[in-house]
Amino acid sequence: MNVSGGVVRARGLVKDHGQGQSRVRAVDEVDLEVPQGQMLAVMGPSGCGKSTLLHLLGGLERPTDGEVWVAGRRIDTLSERALARLRRRSVGFVFQAFHLVAELSAAENVELPVLLAGRSRREARRRAGLLLDRVGLADRARHLPSQLSGGQRQRIAIARALANDPLVVLADEPTGNLDTAATLDVLRIFEDLRSAGQTLVIVTHDERVAATADRLISMRDGLFVDDTRLAGSHTGGLGGLIGLEG
Amino acid sequence: MGSIVLVVRLVLADVRRHRVQAAMLLLAVTVATATMALGLSLRGVSDALYEQTRAATAGPDVVALSGDTGPAVTSALASLADDPEVVAHHGPYRIVYATLTARGSTSSPVVVHGFAETPGAVDRPLVTSGRWVRSGGAVLERGFATALGVGVGDRVTIAGRSYPVVGIAVTAATSIYPWAAQIGPGGGPSDYSGLAWMTRPDARRLAASHDLPVTSAIDLKLRDPAATEAFMDAHSGLGIRVTFQPWQFKAEQDTVILRDAQPILVVGSWLLSFLAITGVAALAAGRAVEQTRRAGLLKAVGATPGLITAVLFTEYLALALLADALGLMVAHLAMPAIASPTASRIGDAAGPDGATVVAATVLAVAVAVLSTLRPTLRAMRTATVTALTATAHQPRHRPWLTALSALLPTPLLLGLRLTARRPGRAVLQACSSATSVIAIAALLTLHAQPERGYGLDGSSVLPNLRGEHDRGLMLAVTILLIALAVVNTVTLTWTTAMEARANMAVARTLGATPAQITAGLSAAQLLPGLPGALIGIPLGIGLLSLFAAPNAADPPSAWLLGAALATVLVTAALTALPARLAARRPVAQALSAETA
Repeated sequence: MNVSGGVVRARGLVKDHGQGQSRVRAVDEVDLEVPQGQMLAVMGPSGCGKSTLLHLLGGLERPTDGEVWVAGRRIDTLSERALARLRRRSVGFVFQAFHLVAELSAAENVELPVLLAGRSRREARRRAGLLLDRVGLADRARHLPSQLSGGQRQRIAIARALANDPLVVLADEPTGNLDTAATLDVLRIFEDLRSAGQTLVIVTHDERVAATADRLISMRDGLFVDDTRLAGSHTGGLGGLIGLEG
Repeated sequence: MGSIVLVVRLVLADVRRHRVQAAMLLLAVTVATATMALGLSLRGVSDALYEQTRAATAGPDVVALSGDTGPAVTSALASLADDPEVVAHHGPYRIVYATLTARGSTSSPVVVHGFAETPGAVDRPLVTSGRWVRSGGAVLERGFATALGVGVGDRVTIAGRSYPVVGIAVTAATSIYPWAAQIGPGGGPSDYSGLAWMTRPDARRLAASHDLPVTSAIDLKLRDPAATEAFMDAHSGLGIRVTFQPWQFKAEQDTVILRDAQPILVVGSWLLSFLAITGVAALAAGRAVEQTRRAGLLKAVGATPGLITAVLFTEYLALALLADALGLMVAHLAMPAIASPTASRIGDAAGPDGATVVAATVLAVAVAVLSTLRPTLRAMRTATVTALTATAHQPRHRPWLTALSALLPTPLLLGLRLTARRPGRAVLQACSSATSVIAIAALLTLHAQPERGYGLDGSSVLPNLRGEHDRGLMLAVTILLIALAVVNTVTLTWTTAMEARANMAVARTLGATPAQITAGLSAAQLLPGLPGALIGIPLGIGLLSLFAAPNAADPPSAWLLGAALATVLVTAALTALPARLAARRPVAQALSAETA
């Protein structure tokens, strides 16, 4: 799908947590536009509001004020049902804690969103096979998450996020729980996705991860304090560029 | 001493934090122990009421009845009073068989005893209202009068003659209403009958007026009241046909009306206990992780295994014992009404006897121990460091179920996978549904039985008190069972939702709608609930058949299937609210809580 004006857009976005005197502003009137195929990294210290921003963009939380648009459709006014359908079709999530279903195998985890979208079991299997192959874990299809390393689990989570060909993948600290080698594996996948024109929004603490993006936004106290276009990631080897290869 | 203070402090703090759980345990065990205590006490209470009535009315030790009349019979019966073992007697007196009509239309068989205006030393009916017989007036037995709805001052018609009711009385010389006849006309079988007293001349005139059947009787007081058997054996060859009825027979006859009540209450208490265990176990399982962490914390600060066991068990045991005491008190208060449904006896029901108290207490302790044993053992056995970082028990991978669920619509897919996560809980839900249907099936079976009323020719203008009593008790037990099953269903749905909240939040991020999550959580209870309800039908019929008469009628199949269907529908309705509440929880919050 070609979306003019940005796959993801936000205008005057505000999110407050709590009420009265304990109210905290997590996101403070930010404007954002993520064009199709862009890999956007959002950095900032803990508690600066970057995860909240990601949740708002994916319709997991509703803004206190402002507008969010995904694929040309305003989503902050949608019902929960409509939001669910939007996530099913257009958004893929990757979390720091993986959030895989512990009692399902790797393939079954990837099949889950395909089945939730109402597609057949055969189609779900086919998609899971393709995606597991894409993230290099075809031989781990029958393994349970507890039988996989952290990096492998995150690759399964990425495959699951891609299961319904989303317009945008929203990743919240995708390498936060990974060692260097696993981080490199994940970044390679993201690099492949970007090359394929996949829109990505990655929230991260890790400067090395941010360095692979097309664009870097820095957040502090709920505000965007910097918005930089990066060019280096398109050239040269990924590992060498960010110092992950030994 | 310090340990006791610590245990008490921890238990009180935990009860304050989990008030709903404490209230549920208290309620469930109270209901179960009260029902069991009632069931086990019925016989004793019935005997006690008979004894008290017997003492208050100078009840005879033996009543000798003859189906014949005439001087020879009177003489033969009177000769019994000459036995040296007989210390007092009343009679011989005549018993007239007639029909009594009250309030113009309520007719019933009645036996009329012709008594002196001044009662003798034996069989002195106790007047509970009005006065004793006088010429032209009738006294009605209290159980009979209550069934008729007649009081002092009302008029009744006996064999076409109108009599004012001058008094209401009780006696231990006959069995309770409606078994006052003892023998039928000519010594044959008797019908359901009430009892009335008249003066001897009035009874004679009544019998003569319509040539009514008459029998004769004499009440005897023995030197040794326990020696009734020997007395009857000694007089078996009296020369006339005599039926002896010792006081032990009448006490036994009093329990006939309670014959079905006891199994209803005792079996009901088992089922209630089972549901109590089910509900509390579900709650305890939901708190297993918290309990394990708590045990780890206590171990880390030096608590011994014994102390940890005491802390974990004391709360449930203390609540169960408190509930036991409450249950016994409830049983004590409810006993007179349940043990004496006819008003034919007087007296106070003593509290549950020692054996009943022990049985109820064992039941209460068993509920507490069985429902908490597994999480307590788990908390005990887990190493300290592991316990401190305890997470929910990892569900097993079930590939075939996962593959099967992939063929189903989303709500059933989620429901089946949720069911597969905790099969033990699914079994509890199935058992909960089965228990409800067992009770409903038993209730419907009772209602399906043909019944002979206590009115004239079996008319139900005077209802069958035994049937009414049984159905009333069964209805009460069924309501209690359904109430506990309802609480269990809501509890199981909520604990399932809470344990699966992370997975459900993930499903939401993958595009499942709140409605699909709600339907999935409901389906997780309905999938085991449906077979449970269906199994409940034959189990209910089978359980009742253990206590029912061999020729008992089965209720129509449509009733039973309707009951099972209604149970499933009610389960669906009950699960909807907690499932909806759980499904509406913000996704980001649920995911953050999981990683916190």
